[in-house]
Amino acid sequence: MIEVAGLTKLYDTFVAVEELSFSVRSGEVLGLVGPNGAGKTTTLRCLSGIIPASRGTVRIAGHDIAADPIAAKRELAFFSDEPRLFDYLTVEQHLAFTARIYGVANYRDISGPLLDELEMSDKVHLLPGELSRGMKQKIAIACGLLHSPKVIFFDEPLTGLDPYGIRRMKDSIVRRAQEGAAILISSHLLHLLEEVCSHVLILKKGRKIFDGTLQEITRQYASQEGDTTLEQIFFRATGDGEKAPSPATPSPAPPPLPG
Amino acid sequence: MISALLYLQWHSTVNRVVTRVKRLKKPKYLLGFIVGGLYCYFYFFRFLFQARRPSGSMALPEVTPELTIALEMLGALALFVILLSAWIFPHERAALNFTEAEVSFLFPAPVKRRTLIHFKLLRSQWAILFTTLIMALLSSRFGRGGSALATLAGWWVILSMLNLHFLGASFARTKLMDAGITPWRRRGIVLGALTLIVGVIVAWGWRTFSPPQPADFAGFKTIIAYAKTQLETGPAPWLLYPLRLVVRPFLAQNIADFLWAIGPALALLVAHYVWVMRSNVAFEEASLALAQRRAEAITAVRSGSFPGARHKRRRDPFRLRPTGAPAIALLWKNLIGAGSVFTSRTVILLGIIVCAPAVIIGVNLRGSDLVPGIGLFLLMGIAWSLLIGPQVLRHDFRSDLRNADLLKLYPLAGWRIVLGELLAPAVILTVIQWIALLVAAAIINRIPGSGPVVPGLTRVSIALAAAMLLPMLNLISLLIPNAAVLLFPSWFQTGQNAAQGIEATGQRLIFMLGQTLVFMLSLIPAAIAFAAVFFLGRLAVDWVFTVPFAGLAAALMLALEVGVGVMLLGKLFDKFDLSAESQ
Repeated sequence: MIEVAGLTKLYDTFVAVEELSFSVRSGEVLGLVGPNGAGKTTTLRCLSGIIPASRGTVRIAGHDIAADPIAAKRELAFFSDEPRLFDYLTVEQHLAFTARIYGVANYRDISGPLLDELEMSDKVHLLPGELSRGMKQKIAIACGLLHSPKVIFFDEPLTGLDPYGIRRMKDSIVRRAQEGAAILISSHLLHLLEEVCSHVLILKKGRKIFDGTLQEITRQYASQEGDTTLEQIFFRATGDGEKAPSPATPSPAPPPLPG
Repeated sequence: MISALLYLQWHSTVNRVVTRVKRLKKPKYLLGFIVGGLYCYFYFFRFLFQARRPSGSMALPEVTPELTIALEMLGALALFVILLSAWIFPHERAALNFTEAEVSFLFPAPVKRRTLIHFKLLRSQWAILFTTLIMALLSSRFGRGGSALATLAGWWVILSMLNLHFLGASFARTKLMDAGITPWRRRGIVLGALTLIVGVIVAWGWRTFSPPQPADFAGFKTIIAYAKTQLETGPAPWLLYPLRLVVRPFLAQNIADFLWAIGPALALLVAHYVWVMRSNVAFEEASLALAQRRAEAITAVRSGSFPGARHKRRRDPFRLRPTGAPAIALLWKNLIGAGSVFTSRTVILLGIIVCAPAVIIGVNLRGSDLVPGIGLFLLMGIAWSLLIGPQVLRHDFRSDLRNADLLKLYPLAGWRIVLGELLAPAVILTVIQWIALLVAAAIINRIPGSGPVVPGLTRVSIALAAAMLLPMLNLISLLIPNAAVLLFPSWFQTGQNAAQGIEATGQRLIFMLGQTLVFMLSLIPAAIAFAAVFFLGRLAVDWVFTVPFAGLAAALMLALEVGVGVMLLGKLFDKFDLSAESQ
C-alpha cells in the first residue's frame, strides 16, 4: 500500500532524508521513530505529497505520488501534529468543504457516526477558535477520515488529547488497520508504538538504521540482560544509550526535612 | 541582569538581519532589495545630506526667524495635542509591549520591574531610531532645510520624549485607577483643566487685543493670522514653552543653534526618564494580556482578517453540494472568509436597493449635471477597482498561504486549486462593479456640462460589453498577486520572516510595475479582438449593436489568457515547496 524506494530530500546542500526505502502493506501499522531532526516529519510530508522529494519514488495504493499525485492523494489522509483548520469555517462547514473536495456524496451518513464517535456532535456550529486543541485535532481527524482513506499518516497523533481521547485514538488506529488501511505513525511516544504498531522504522540523521517487526527489532537489539523495552532498544539503536536515563536506577532520596 | 536582556536584544536583531541577508542569496529576493534600495536612494537618501533644500513644488519657503517661531509654536501645539491624547483616550491599565516569548521567559525570571522597564525602553529605541530615519528622510525630501544632524537628532528627541511621556502617562493613569479615580472622572478633570487653560488664553487675547471680529473669520488666512497672534503672544507661548524646547533642536538651522537647543531638550528627556523609573506600577498582568492580543492580531493577519476582528459564525454564501467542481468549494470557503456580506441574498437585496432609486433618479432628473456626474465618477471607480481591488480583496492564496500544507494534500490538480482561490475576490469585485455599472448606465443620460444626450440603447450596449469584460479583467488582475505569492512566499509571511524595509519597498514596486505591465499587455489581444469584431460588424449593422458582440469577443480572448495563466500558475503550485522557503 505504501512503497518507498530511495527517497531523498535535500534543502540546498542539507540532506534531510537520504535513500530511504521501505513498504507498508494493507493492515500493517508502521511506527516511525528517531531523535529530533532525524527527518520523520520531512518523510511524512514527502510521502503525503505536501513537499516534493528530491529523489526516489513513493507509491500510494499503487499510484506514484510524483507522476499521478491526484490518484495517490485520493487514497491517503495526513494528520499533522498541529491540526490545520480554516479559522472562519465551522465544524459543519469544514465537513461540507472536505466532502466537496474529495467528492464524498454521502458524507452526512459518514460524518454523523464519526462525530458521535469523536463526541463532537454538539459542536458542529462552532468555529476552531471556540474549540480546545484536542477538539481541533478531532475535527481534523473527522475531515481526514471522511473519504475512507486506504493509507493514513499520523504525525504525533496523541498531542493535545486527554486520556479518553488517547484511548480512543489508539483503538481507532488499530481498528482502521484491521479494516485494511496501511498506517504510518511518527511519534516520540514509544509506548504508543509498542501498543499499536506491527513494524518499526528507526531514522537517524535522515538515514534508516532499522526496519522490521517488533520481534525482529527485539531480536536484533536485545541485550544479554533479557527483556528489553522499545525505549531501551531505541536508545541502543540510535547510539545514545549512554545518555539514556536508566529506569532501574532509583532517584536519589531527598534530604530529610529538619525536625 | 540588564546585560542578559541586552544580549537577547542584540542577538535577536543580529539573527534577524542575518536571516534576511541570507535570503538575499536567492536572486528573486536580491532583486527586490536592489530595486527598493535604488528607489529609497533616489527618492529619499540623497536629500538627507544635502545642505540645499530640494527645489520644486514640494519645497517650503525660505526659513526666516519669524517662520521658525511660528513652526516652533505649531510643532509645540501638535505635540501638546498628541500628549493630551495619552491622558484622555486610554482606559486600560499600564501595559508594556512584550512578545509572548518575552513574557514567558522574563516574567517568571528573577528580574526586577525596573530592569524590565529599562529593557522595554532600550528595545523601543530600535523602533525610535528606525522611525527617526524615516521621518528624517521624509522631512529632508519634502523641503525641510538645516543640517542632517539637527534633523536626525531633532526627530530622535521628539520621538523619545513621546515614548517616555506615553509610558509615564500610562503609569500615572494606573495609579489614578488604583486610587479610585475612574477613566471617565480622569477625562473630566483633564478636559476641565484644558477648558480652563484655553479660557485663560482666549480671555487674555480678548482683553489685550480686540475681540474676534467677523473679518477675522472671513477666510482661512484671516483665521490663521488671528490664531497666530493668539499663540505667539500672551500666556500661550509660556504654557507651551516646555514643548517648544522639545521641537527646537529639530528646527535649528545651523550647528550653533542646534547646540543651544539640544541641552534643554535633553534635560526634559532626563526628567521624563526619572518620572518613568520612579513610577512603581504593576504592569505585568496587563502586559500579558497585551502580548496575547498582539499574538491574536498576527494570527488574524495570517488568516487574511483585519487585526482585532473576531471571527464570527457566518452564513453559507450558497448551498454547497457534496459533488461537483472542487474549485467551487474553494470559492465557497473564501466567500465565507470574506464575510457574511457576500451571500447571494445580500447581493440581490443590494442590487434592488441601489439600482431601483438610480433608475428613478435617472428618469426624473434629466436636466441635472450632478446625476450623470455621479455616474461618470462610478465609471472611474470601476476602472480604478481593476487595479486597486485585487490589492484590497485578498481572500485567495494570499490569505491561504499558511494553509499551503492543507491545499497541497487535496487530490486536485494545481490549476483547479488556483482557479478556486482566484474565484472569491473575482466574484466579489465583479458583483460590486456590475452594480456600479448598472447604476452608471441608468443615470448617465447625458454627458455633464453641455455634452450630448446619451440614448438608452447606447448605454445598454456599452454596459453589456463592459459587464462581459469585467469578470475576465478581474481574473487577469488577480493572477499577478497570486503568482507573486507562489514565487515569493517569504514576502507574504507575517511576523519576523515578513518582508520589511527596503526589501518590502522593492517587492511592492516590482509587483506594482509587474501588475500594470501584465495587465496592459493582456489587453492588447483583447483590444485587437474587439476592434476586429467591431469594424466587421459595422459593415452590416449600426455600431450600437456591434459593441456587445465586440465585447464578447474581447471577453473570450481574455478568458483564453486567464485559462493559460491559471494553467501556468497551477504548474507553479504543483512544484511549490514552502519548506524550501524557510531554509
